[in-house]
Amino acid sequence: MGLWLGLCFGICFLTGLVSHYAQEPSHPIPFPTSPSWGYRLTQGLHVTTGTAAIPLLLVKLWTVYPRLFERLPSGELRRLRALLVTLLERASIAVLVAAAIFQLATGLMNSAQWYPWSFSFRSTHYALAWVAIGALVVHIAVKLPVIRQALGGDVESSELDRPGATEQGVLSRRGLLRTTWVAAAVAVVATAGSTVPLLRRVSVLGVRSGEGPQGVPVNKSAEAAGIGEQQVGESYRLEVVGPSGTVRLSREELLAMPQHDEELPIACVEGWSASGRWSGVRVRDLTALAGATGGEDVVVTSLQESGPFRVTTLQGNFVDDDRTLLALGLAGEPLDLDHGFPCRVIAPNRPGVLQTKWVARLEVQA
Amino acid sequence: MTGRLVLGALGVAVGCYGAWLMLSRGDGEDLRSAAVWLAGGVLLHDVVLAGLTLALGVVVTRVLPTPARAPATVALVVLGSLTLVAVPVLGRFGAKADNPTLLDRPYVAAWLVLVALAVVAVVVASLVRARRAAGGSRSHA
Repeated sequence: MGLWLGLCFGICFLTGLVSHYAQEPSHPIPFPTSPSWGYRLTQGLHVTTGTAAIPLLLVKLWTVYPRLFERLPSGELRRLRALLVTLLERASIAVLVAAAIFQLATGLMNSAQWYPWSFSFRSTHYALAWVAIGALVVHIAVKLPVIRQALGGDVESSELDRPGATEQGVLSRRGLLRTTWVAAAVAVVATAGSTVPLLRRVSVLGVRSGEGPQGVPVNKSAEAAGIGEQQVGESYRLEVVGPSGTVRLSREELLAMPQHDEELPIACVEGWSASGRWSGVRVRDLTALAGATGGEDVVVTSLQESGPFRVTTLQGNFVDDDRTLLALGLAGEPLDLDHGFPCRVIAPNRPGVLQTKWVARLEVQA
Repeated sequence: MTGRLVLGALGVAVGCYGAWLMLSRGDGEDLRSAAVWLAGGVLLHDVVLAGLTLALGVVVTRVLPTPARAPATVALVVLGSLTLVAVPVLGRFGAKADNPTLLDRPYVAAWLVLVALAVVAVVVASLVRARRAAGGSRSHA
């Protein structure tokens, strides 16, 4: 069980690093634009393995619960070293348990947009991921001999943890393991439909059914972003700023430019994802109007008044990709206001928070 | 032994990096709130959740008839952890009036159906086990 729990934490950690890096404004090593479903996969894995880890961690903690009340080695001074080692080990376990519960609980709550705390979720979840993984590595180093013995030994043997056991429990050890796999599988199937379309109908406890305007759910509505009809009406102009000056375009002028269709997913950091058929103008066609020659980063500003992702950076390799659109339509219709009308960024392999909606301005960086 | 020491040192270094990230980037309010949640999670598990589990364990081993014990334990582990996973959607704490695409399923009804299914499964499994045990003792007699 520890092995599977460790595996889940490992996958969560690595996919979390990918997601964190993808959200950084500057990429010393360019984040790839292909495959377009890459981020959908890594973030789906992140949330799925995190969900599966909850039953695993609970059963793991329950089975070692009696150890919480174990006495410390006491007695003479020559036992001091043993005492010190025990205290250090217990401290590392305290850190591991606290960080593990924290990561799973805050991650789960974040996936349902529930934020009853005052710390910044992204930076705290990221910092404590390093703490959790560090404590896990220490734990593995301490327990390596036991792990080796247990993995090589008979699963039913109580030699390693309950040497004095005289009575058979209600469940055999194999029975408890199987029960835990079932619990993890049920938790995943009941929730993963938010990102795995095949599971949509059975994921009765999923955060989203996958329904939404034009077949795609919404993360932040126009109302929540403070976008009203007056900002997106006839007077709306997209500003494109570049080395050769500023170009202002109405929605009609954007629609008069060469249009392209792309099937691309929206994959949110909170774990849900959905694929859509977007239509619009290539971003590099737009920046070329303002004198961009290719490879430049573009700063995208939204009409929304506030929010941490009002201004985002579209890195040069994303700008240059043919599939990166300033979308004007979705599913054959004009973009819904909640999807970013008059126009939004949609790029392959990119976290949803960076697919800026209600775009007001594109600024080519020198 | 050297390998374990190196691994342990690596773990300490990685953990310290995380602590440094936390301390250097968070402000006072961030740290206070995160500390409350770190300690609160452990307390909630070690006192409330573990206490509840122990109480349920007593019920299962003392009150239930023998053939029902194992099926009930399996059902409680599966349903208990699923319920915990479902707390944010059951409470709809993150629901927003302006966004009907979020938390848009009948969660309480779904949870009740799952509980009913679990109860049926436990009853059926217990009856099967009881009959098998009775049949077994008859054939031995």
